Amino acid sequence: MFEATLAFQALINGASVALVYILVALGLTLIFSIMGIINFAHGEFYMLGGFAAYYLAQVAGMNYIAMLAVTFLAVCAFGFCLERLLFEPLRAQPLSGFIASLGLLLVLQAGVSILFGVTDKRVDSPFPGILHGYGLVISRERLFVMMASAVLIALLYCFLRWSKQGLALRAAAQEWEAAAVLGINVNRISGLAFGMGCALAAAAGALLAPVFYVTPTMGAQPLVKAFIIVIIGGMGSLPGAVAGGAFLGLLESIGPMFFSPATVDLLGFGAIVVLLLVRPTGLVKS
Amino acid sequence: MTWTGQARSIVAFLLLTFAASVVPVVTHDLYKVDVATTILQDLILAMSLRVVMNLGLLNLAHTSLMGIGAYVSAALAMRLGMSFWLTLPIAAGAAALMALALGMLTLRLHGPYFFLLTFAVMSMIQLFFHSYLEEIFGGATGLIGVPRPNPLGFGSFTLPLVSKVSLYYLILAFWIAAAAVLIRLEYSRLGLQCAAVKQSEAVARSVGIHTIRCKLLVLSLSGFLAGVAGVFFAHSRGVINSSDFGIDPMLKLLVYVVVGGVSNFWGPVVGTIGFSVLSEYLRSFHFLETLMYGAVLIAVMRLFPEGITGACERIFAAARPGSVPSHVTAGA
Repeated sequence: MFEATLAFQALINGASVALVYILVALGLTLIFSIMGIINFAHGEFYMLGGFAAYYLAQVAGMNYIAMLAVTFLAVCAFGFCLERLLFEPLRAQPLSGFIASLGLLLVLQAGVSILFGVTDKRVDSPFPGILHGYGLVISRERLFVMMASAVLIALLYCFLRWSKQGLALRAAAQEWEAAAVLGINVNRISGLAFGMGCALAAAAGALLAPVFYVTPTMGAQPLVKAFIIVIIGGMGSLPGAVAGGAFLGLLESIGPMFFSPATVDLLGFGAIVVLLLVRPTGLVKS
Repeated sequence: MTWTGQARSIVAFLLLTFAASVVPVVTHDLYKVDVATTILQDLILAMSLRVVMNLGLLNLAHTSLMGIGAYVSAALAMRLGMSFWLTLPIAAGAAALMALALGMLTLRLHGPYFFLLTFAVMSMIQLFFHSYLEEIFGGATGLIGVPRPNPLGFGSFTLPLVSKVSLYYLILAFWIAAAAVLIRLEYSRLGLQCAAVKQSEAVARSVGIHTIRCKLLVLSLSGFLAGVAGVFFAHSRGVINSSDFGIDPMLKLLVYVVVGGVSNFWGPVVGTIGFSVLSEYLRSFHFLETLMYGAVLIAVMRLFPEGITGACERIFAAARPGSVPSHVTAGA
């Protein structure tokens, strides 16, 4: 019984972080599905979200949920402009697009370091305190993080499923030229996909800002996790990203009870290798 | 067409060899010799990465192959006291074997899936050296005190390989051998077959090219050369750590090759020398260095998505009236 409670507790702790990483991964896979570019600067938008949380919520005292909305919209607009100016001509060239995104990573990271400094910044939790029940403990902050990510994932699903823009986005992901022939403005859709992808990463960064410290290099860890999630779930597959995130969250929360941390990481990468060899399209059938 | 391309490459190779061999004579600044040593080592890595990328296989485990060369050689020298000249072929051979195994494992994978798989393999190899067999590979601290290469002896004459200048000439010799082999490959029958595989694997197979043999041979050769660079890295620096062979050095290498241009034999040379010199000049600016480096990357990719040499080829081809389009001559 004790074992089960412990495992359940580990699962809850793992789930809150895994949900946020799913947000990052969803953005990554959204961009890949439309543009065919692996956005290596994706973690930097997560970092921008963290800094937005620090300056808007911590320093300026803005309401946390309002801050999330403002950050989401601002980064979305920023991403839209970046796609129009930078990545649009590189759409058909994945390798050049990848290198350009690497350049963007360096520019954003160094730019933030110069503007805001490299010292760790602490963001106070918007919901302090903890909840007890059934022998389990969870901080209200983590509960908020889980609920907010779940809401964002649901909103994304509704947007893609039912809105006109979402329909156009899915059409462009499926067959670029056919979508253009049917009168969809694929250039605007491409910009929208890039902007929304970046905004999802920024929202994740803003959500996790009170859990970890805010620094210019905070984007590296979630990028690697999102990368693993996206590969496990299948490049460009949105349900796959959720399944991949669940798998990684499970592995990382239950795994350490049986193996050393290095072995857990090794198993994660090993899963990628096996999956790519056996089923390269990912866990979920598209 | 093939002959003139080869002749031009040989002339460029001889000029570069001459320029490189006078570096320690022209400058007595040991720091500059050090930078030149790193450039030559990176040249071996970038040029050997390019032949694989030219087949359409983006191998992100290239620096891991270098790492295998470095770790195997350093461990053999430190734990068993073996000579550098014995560990060199063994360690480079181990890297070639690993590359061959990687190739055989991934025969069925194409494009982004090969790239993703090599990313996972790279991470696994780094984790392995970082966290396992600590008594052999030194764990998180890595290996400290890797011995310098043993002196070269011919009878009563011995050449010690301790000073920076002597190490520079050692890596220069390695680079000359590597570049000669790669030029030979580029203009050989196998090189032509690789060019065909790059353009269309299905068509290449239909005209009787053994595409799998092609890929495996090139991958193993590339792995061997990366292993040689790794062995030199370990013994010239004396300290190695698993992070020396992780994602960051790999991305640096990828930048050299892609910005220089994958389709041209000299692309990685232009990229490696250009970016190494650029980052030396930018070094004093600290964060501004990173900022400018990133800005240059974005600008080059935005203006010349096919790389610097690719853009030059296109401009020259356009300037010559009635000339063959660049994609026809790219392999020649």
